[in-house]
Amino acid sequence: MTWLLDYYNYRIVAQYLGRFAEGLSNTLTAAGVSLILSLLLGTLVALALLSSRAILRKPIEGYVAFIRATPLLVQIYLVYYGLPALLPIAKSWNDMYFGIAALTLNSAPYMGEIIRAGIESVPRGQIEGAKAVGMNYGQRMRYVVLPQAFANTLPPLIGQTAVLIKDTSLLSIITVFEFTSAGILLNSERVRPNESFLTIALGYLLIYLVILLLSRGVKQWLAGPAWNAQG
Amino acid sequence: MLERYWSITSSLLPFLWQGFLETLYVSLVAIIAGSLIGALIGLVRSQRVPVLTSIFGLYIHILRGTPFLVQLYVFYFVLPNTGISWLSWDSRTAAFVALSVYTSSYVAEIVKGAVEAVPRGQSEAATALGMTRLQRLWYVIIPQALKLTVPPMSGVYVMIIKSTAILSVVGISELTRQGEVSILRFPRDVLFIYGLIAFIYFLYCYPVLRFARWAERRVGAARTVDLD
Repeated sequence: MTWLLDYYNYRIVAQYLGRFAEGLSNTLTAAGVSLILSLLLGTLVALALLSSRAILRKPIEGYVAFIRATPLLVQIYLVYYGLPALLPIAKSWNDMYFGIAALTLNSAPYMGEIIRAGIESVPRGQIEGAKAVGMNYGQRMRYVVLPQAFANTLPPLIGQTAVLIKDTSLLSIITVFEFTSAGILLNSERVRPNESFLTIALGYLLIYLVILLLSRGVKQWLAGPAWNAQG
Repeated sequence: MLERYWSITSSLLPFLWQGFLETLYVSLVAIIAGSLIGALIGLVRSQRVPVLTSIFGLYIHILRGTPFLVQLYVFYFVLPNTGISWLSWDSRTAAFVALSVYTSSYVAEIVKGAVEAVPRGQSEAATALGMTRLQRLWYVIIPQALKLTVPPMSGVYVMIIKSTAILSVVGISELTRQGEVSILRFPRDVLFIYGLIAFIYFLYCYPVLRFARWAERRVGAARTVDLD
């Protein structure tokens, strides 16, 4: 195995294992918290986009267009420098909070679009049928629309989660110590690019693999009976 | 207040314009080079060529499973470190190659999907006429698949434009980098300058997004006419 040490000295990586673990846990925290917050915000975005009231729909459409048409990095800078001016509490935040805020604001429109498409994919006949048996709006949503929309939204939501996890790497630029930062730290202290960047690439690949397997499992699970109504 | 912002804008505009031109240039190079590599890979994968299909599958998974920032670091730090002379490139080449390769992984899946979406009967009819596999692809499948690629390719184009911002990290003088340099001149107006940068990106991306939506409706409508 000594020939390997020239190209990839795993002993150096082992020395930095604690730092890599710290970075990984911050990456997963940032991604996890942003995922939950952006699902909540995304649901509101979806409901606003489906609303027939222009006063609700138009501003949200503008927000969605802005997020989709500008780079995440610029959005991160805007949140990082802009939020303390808007929210006085944010002045005492650490970088992680800004990172989570930026990722949430970035991710919510994408989540919202997926949820909106899921709700719209439920056949009209289902809603008409529910109305015919005398269900009110809440009951129709709870028992008819949402369970079917759920089946249609889960696979793309998992895909969007994979994107969100990859996007957390940009938080290294606003000095959040996440997984990529651990690699950058190793490279700046030891000048070993292979050990630094190939290790983090491998780490992200493993996370991706887990998500990929999860997504396949979910697709198989949803392909079972009673989920997708025909018609 | 407004006058102050106006004077900052007018004094920075030529500088930011330089950055925008670089962003435009990188994104165009990446979409063209990435499409060429990606189309080739996608076609090979759609034809289920043994060995090559799985090798390219691995290529796509690696590129889709890692953040672009990490890929950029690999192209910028790791590859020049290998000692292979033609890989010891400057930051600009590294950035261009990294973005093109990243693009190719998305294009490959689009092309594969489009080829597979062309109804089977088309290929079978061409076989019945005695066409070879390459003739079938060139005269029958590709012309029909091409239309299907337009909406998702526009989406990829927007993604590339947005990804060019990340190239600022390795010192490419594109729009975001020019913005960062401008902030050194006007340190009190960080927020305004990033807002300006975001607005310029918006002007570039939004029309492409609208086109993508329009094309989606067109292609979607055309597909319902197909009886197969």
